[in-house]
Amino acid sequence: MQPLIELLQVTKTYQSGPEKLQALKGIDLTVARGEFVAITGPSGSGKSTLMHILGLLDTPTAGTYLLNGQDVTRISKGRQAEMRNREIGFVFQQFNLLPRATVLENVLLPTVYDNAPPPVARAREVIEMVGLGDHIRHKGNQLSGGQMQRVAIARALIMGPALLLADEPTGNLDSVTSLEIMELFRMANRRGTTVVLITHEPDIARLADRTVELRDGRITHRARGGRR
Amino acid sequence: MRKMANIATQAAQALLANKGRALLTILGIVIGIASVIALLGIGQGASNSITGRIATLGNSTLTVVPGGSAAAGLEGGGGGGQADQNSSSGMPFTSMAGSSLSEKDLAELQATERHPSIRAVAGVVSASTILEIHGHQQRVPLTGVTPAYFSIYGLKAQHGRLLGDEDAKEKRLVLGSQVAADLYGGDDPTGRQIKVEGQEFTIVGVLAASEESAFRNPNDQLYIPAAVAMERLGIKNYGSLVVQAAGDDQVGLAAAEARTTLLETHAIADPKLADFSILSPQDLVAVTQQVAGTLTALLTSIAAISLVVGGIGIMNIMLVSVTERTREIGLRKAVGAKTRDILFQFLLEAVILTLAGSALGILLGFGVGDLAGTLLGFPPVITPRAIALAIVVAAAVGLVFGLYPAAKAARLNPIDALRYG
Repeated sequence: MQPLIELLQVTKTYQSGPEKLQALKGIDLTVARGEFVAITGPSGSGKSTLMHILGLLDTPTAGTYLLNGQDVTRISKGRQAEMRNREIGFVFQQFNLLPRATVLENVLLPTVYDNAPPPVARAREVIEMVGLGDHIRHKGNQLSGGQMQRVAIARALIMGPALLLADEPTGNLDSVTSLEIMELFRMANRRGTTVVLITHEPDIARLADRTVELRDGRITHRARGGRR
Repeated sequence: MRKMANIATQAAQALLANKGRALLTILGIVIGIASVIALLGIGQGASNSITGRIATLGNSTLTVVPGGSAAAGLEGGGGGGQADQNSSSGMPFTSMAGSSLSEKDLAELQATERHPSIRAVAGVVSASTILEIHGHQQRVPLTGVTPAYFSIYGLKAQHGRLLGDEDAKEKRLVLGSQVAADLYGGDDPTGRQIKVEGQEFTIVGVLAASEESAFRNPNDQLYIPAAVAMERLGIKNYGSLVVQAAGDDQVGLAAAEARTTLLETHAIADPKLADFSILSPQDLVAVTQQVAGTLTALLTSIAAISLVVGGIGIMNIMLVSVTERTREIGLRKAVGAKTRDILFQFLLEAVILTLAGSALGILLGFGVGDLAGTLLGFPPVITPRAIALAIVVAAAVGLVFGLYPAAKAARLNPIDALRYG
């Protein structure tokens, strides 16, 4: 079966003044459908840059990125936005909820940019799934950190994406809540969503099927995870 | 498109989330639109009111005044007002000492067979005198008229009779209703003597109260025979001639006939060199409407400046809002918003703000217009066109001043935006 993600010799160079900063120095990475991959590494290793490229928020300087078999480095910005909308769900460390909007409105946000009426029933389903059925009318700023991240996961899943990208999703949470959140990722993964998780915490990375370690813009270590 | 509706909902929700700020943001637009609406309404109301008052002059009367069109300034208005206002200025005839409108002119114009479109002609001499009313000395307009004057202006006697041909050389006098009431209360003064400029006049009648026009109040005047007035003032000619056309639709013809005859009697070949001007109420209406229109346009343009200021206010707040919502914009882009979706949302927010401002401004404008109308004594006329104008201008202000902040929002790089703050 065709892999969901295929990166071939992907490099990313930032020009800051006279200096060139090479954030990624030739990354080869393949992620199969239904996989749960953790990308680890110290800060400055290039893992955030990698996630931005995987999430179509940034384009590689060189190399090829095939998502679903399609070369997405050559498509227009508008088409990239459509792919982000339908194929990719994002979860951030800072949750990034709209503070004055309700849980329901936050979860429905990606559907705004789909040419269809808001799928409220589907949103309720996803909110139930992340365990916030009782908080559907709460405002984003009335929730705890763990609850906010649950909302963010529901928001990432509402469009039924093929890929769930999480950037340090447990970075702002205590260890108990972190495990609860990781359990949600596992659940989404069991239901067929491919999950790519970026973290610097080994305890969290261990919960993935597979770990890829980044250092100075190169993949230095690949390992099977310990959970399965 | 469904997506547009979705984004519009987002824009509305973003504004409703901060109602207080939205209200403060649009305050400038509200005041700007309110002033434009109120001023347009007052201007239109004033114009209608003046036009209505001029209409009471009678649509079928022409006034012939001495002096060519160059001397009369604006063809129509200025000269006409001046001729009649001399009556209250207390400086009779100084401006028409050399009046060219003679007894002969009047007689010629009265020859009906040569002027099928002219029903009647009257000669008028305007002056004023001082009467003692309720123990105070007061200057009162004194008008010398030929008998046709009363019928032309539809003036009727309440007591006694009007001046007739038999009174032409007599010291007889008709009182306007207001003067009669001031001097004699409710009594009928017919037959009494009254001293005017040192001479005894006999009161032969009192006029019934009649509607004021823009330039003349028939109720506050004394009327004496024109010939007597000329003799008193030591002049030979009329201050003006009043020509009544045979019908409202024959005013133009009547003016042409009067012009031809007067040019003939004055032996002037070139109409441009005429030593008289013929003024019609239509001329006055046109001139006053032009003046009112110019004034309204001037005041409205000043009010429109406040709209520009209001627009700048909106731009400022939208720029602050874009900065505050940087992360939100980054997030929206991450979940699939295109550059143009962000542009559309922020532009729409600005336009919604200005349209809401114009709605409130229109309401406030009605209120201010009504208040001003009450103080000024005529109703403001706020036309659908003025309202449409307010809405279109407000939307345009929103588009113009919303564009820069919206473009700034749309250009944000999602990665930087998500990291912001």
